Amino acid sequence: MLDQNLVSEVLGAARAGGADFSELFVEDTLSTTLRLHQGQVKEAGGGNLFGAGLRLLYGDKVVYAYTNDVTADGLRQLADAVAQARGGTGMTDRSGAGGLDFRRLEVKPLYQARQHPLSHGKREKLALMQRAHGAAAGVGDVKTVDVNYLDRIQKVLIANSEGLWAEDERVWTRLMVSAIAQDGTLRERGYYGPGAGKGLEFFEEKTPEAIGAEAARIANAMLRAEYAPAGKLPVVIGNEFGGVIFHEACGHILETTAVEKNASVFADRMGQAIASSCVSAIDDGTIAGAWGMVNVDDEGMPGQRTVLIENGVLKSFMVDRVGELKTGYKRTGSGRRQNYTFAPASRMRSTYIDRGDKTPDDLIKSVSHGIYARTMGGGSVTPGTGDYNFAVNEAYLIENGEVTRPLKGASLVGNGARDLMNIVGVAGDLTLGQGMCGSVSGSLPTDVGQPHLLISEITVGGRA
Amino acid sequence: MRVTVTNRQLSLSEARAFLLQEAAARNVKLEVYSSRHASTQIQAFQAEVSEFKLSTRQGVALRALVQGAWGQSYSENLSEAALTRALDDAVENAELVNAEQGAALQQWPAPPALDLYGEGLSGVTVEQKVNVALELERAAREADARVKSIPYLQYQDADMLVGVANTEGLEREDRQLYAMQFSCPLVSEDGQNKMKEDWQFTREFTQLDPTQTSLRAVEKSLALLGARPTPTGTFPALIDGEALAELLALYSVMFSGKFVEEGKSPLGGRLGEQIVNPLVTLLDDPLRPTGLNSRAFDAEGCPSAPLTLIEAGQLTSFLHNADTAARAGTRSTGHATRHGLQSGVTVGPSNLVMQAGATSPAELQRDFTGVLLTGVSGGHAGANPITGDFSLESEGFWLENGEVAYPLDVFTVAGNILELLSDVEAVGSELHDTYYAVSAPSVRVSKLAVAGGQAKD
Repeated sequence: MLDQNLVSEVLGAARAGGADFSELFVEDTLSTTLRLHQGQVKEAGGGNLFGAGLRLLYGDKVVYAYTNDVTADGLRQLADAVAQARGGTGMTDRSGAGGLDFRRLEVKPLYQARQHPLSHGKREKLALMQRAHGAAAGVGDVKTVDVNYLDRIQKVLIANSEGLWAEDERVWTRLMVSAIAQDGTLRERGYYGPGAGKGLEFFEEKTPEAIGAEAARIANAMLRAEYAPAGKLPVVIGNEFGGVIFHEACGHILETTAVEKNASVFADRMGQAIASSCVSAIDDGTIAGAWGMVNVDDEGMPGQRTVLIENGVLKSFMVDRVGELKTGYKRTGSGRRQNYTFAPASRMRSTYIDRGDKTPDDLIKSVSHGIYARTMGGGSVTPGTGDYNFAVNEAYLIENGEVTRPLKGASLVGNGARDLMNIVGVAGDLTLGQGMCGSVSGSLPTDVGQPHLLISEITVGGRA
Repeated sequence: MRVTVTNRQLSLSEARAFLLQEAAARNVKLEVYSSRHASTQIQAFQAEVSEFKLSTRQGVALRALVQGAWGQSYSENLSEAALTRALDDAVENAELVNAEQGAALQQWPAPPALDLYGEGLSGVTVEQKVNVALELERAAREADARVKSIPYLQYQDADMLVGVANTEGLEREDRQLYAMQFSCPLVSEDGQNKMKEDWQFTREFTQLDPTQTSLRAVEKSLALLGARPTPTGTFPALIDGEALAELLALYSVMFSGKFVEEGKSPLGGRLGEQIVNPLVTLLDDPLRPTGLNSRAFDAEGCPSAPLTLIEAGQLTSFLHNADTAARAGTRSTGHATRHGLQSGVTVGPSNLVMQAGATSPAELQRDFTGVLLTGVSGGHAGANPITGDFSLESEGFWLENGEVAYPLDVFTVAGNILELLSDVEAVGSELHDTYYAVSAPSVRVSKLAVAGGQAKD
């Protein structure tokens, strides 16, 4: 165990330069990565990520330093380095250091892994992968199948100069299948990669066969697709990973990381209608076993369910400690970081648009000429302008209320501030999808999600 | 919490020696890749340092070769116990992996001499670094009343040490240093927000010019104000070097010997063929002094050398590491790559360069009517390297008779990279560098599909 006296000494020494607040984050992470290509084991790796980060706050200004040397000497050196980073001015007397009375935060896991990845061998994990491979290989025109498996067990300690002491273990498991269908020179890829904040029991509810079959289904469906039309069209967006639209169009600009720098188009819109009244959106860290679950955030605050938008009205931002200092909005347990090499920042957890009262059929039937974007790829946004894009992996033409031909090469672009007003119908089939979200504090597991929804008009970037 | 105050952490060279000795004792063939990265990052906001980050990160990545199969692992914990576990893991992993023809450790010849360290940073004070960040902020803030804030700006430097050693007797190290800065101001007018960045990368701290970088960023951002709806249709296009480099970066994996071997590259089986317009020549140059990914040797220790991938439109080579080369019946081109310690050895470019052509910038634009494409984004999702297809969020201007008529509201461009490079009509004479480590000239192409609002008459 890290000794509390040592941690106390380090937190005190770090503040020797006059900082208002110090925080230590220690991490010991074990990961396993496996890759099958055409059923052959091509890669087996993984390892031990190991280090500590120390953050100081001078008002709302941040000094952050990290090291891999998690020994008493290493941590003392780290404390000296951060204390001196601002030129060593201010308080130099260390007599105030030490003697923190830590309040141990009882971290209640929202979910306990039943089949912990560390207690299962790699051969067992390979067998799961082979099942996924078997469900995709040779299906229709699928010629090439890649299966990737990942598990990650992150143990963290978060302690700060306010006396907080929190320890947590986070478990993530994920299986990703990429299937390439090929016919002569025609070639398309289908991808499906669900994951969870669970152990291997996740694959009992989402079987490897189902994951493999979904990737193969998409690849086959898209193989003989025509190029999508270009221009402004109504679009029905599928559920699950379809939620990436909200994530990019709106989620990132509701993080205080963007709000505090005046880099958000929604910075001064609290309490105002920013979306159509059929839209309610939530960022939730408390869904047991979710990919974006947060027992405690990386600042040691328990995860929360945060209503961002209620019936179109902006209700909350996602707020971390520095965000609270800079904007005045209360912390929401949204301080997250990829690992010890990043200072925490306000980030999404499981972010979704809530259920509406329509059915997917209702939505499709109401479109005379448009696109059904059934499964999505990733996307990105420029927070300051709200301009965003995301890719459609599987799309179809809608003609006179019917889904007709498959389409490829469609990406959607728009502007968050405008397009949220254009959501005119929301179905009831809410599902979450899993992805990695990259931003200022690194790449994080986050869920996106939504029911099927209809956008009255959005720019489709096709080439036909 | 099972984080413990660990036993003594070994130095990188001690860790390497310990691992090679352990491997030899177990009769295991082993490669040890080691890296240390010490860095400073400084951000400023409203005339104050808002974030100051100091870091040292080090660790080892292992590849054990057992009966023709590679097993990999890594560790940032350099205690003897953790290193022993990493070695155990690498060996266990090798036993799970299918053997590959051509898998071997090698004692490569000596790498070329390459100074990527310059004068170093030892004489540079913290205050000097802080001043760069403050100056970036001040210059942008004071440049124009329409600058609302500078949400993203940074000074950054790094001092890096990379080593490769193996049980065949190979042992080499390389030291590198860089300093860089970027500035990304948010400008606003009539309810329209725009943001565009500029940056500078150098091996010499003293060459940084924060004022220039910020002023250029402001100028680029202001130019985007007053955007009008983009027409939908297929138009002639002028693709500036930065945007073309971004596009090329998205498709560099097509040249990977591994991607080809696994049947994923649309270029597979096409060596020697004319694949794009003869105006296009593309090479990978790891020895480029100003390149972001320059290096004397690759992740396996193989010496670096420039390599031509497309010569006058003809596909001349793929990128290879030792394994993929052996299976393709050729020799390593020195393109074994690791994306940090945590990822395994794969194949990738260093500094991709599309060669500049003969057409001056003025000539390229003369009498031109169509789209000027200055940037694309969302490539991680909107570009498909298996087919070459793309559909990407874009930024640019409408040009009328060689003059900028107006900037364009958010739009997409769609097409196929190989078709695009076949449609090249003229290649500009100036090379643009990007922080993707890809450099390209501006080009004029006969057609590009654009989606915005209404079709243009």
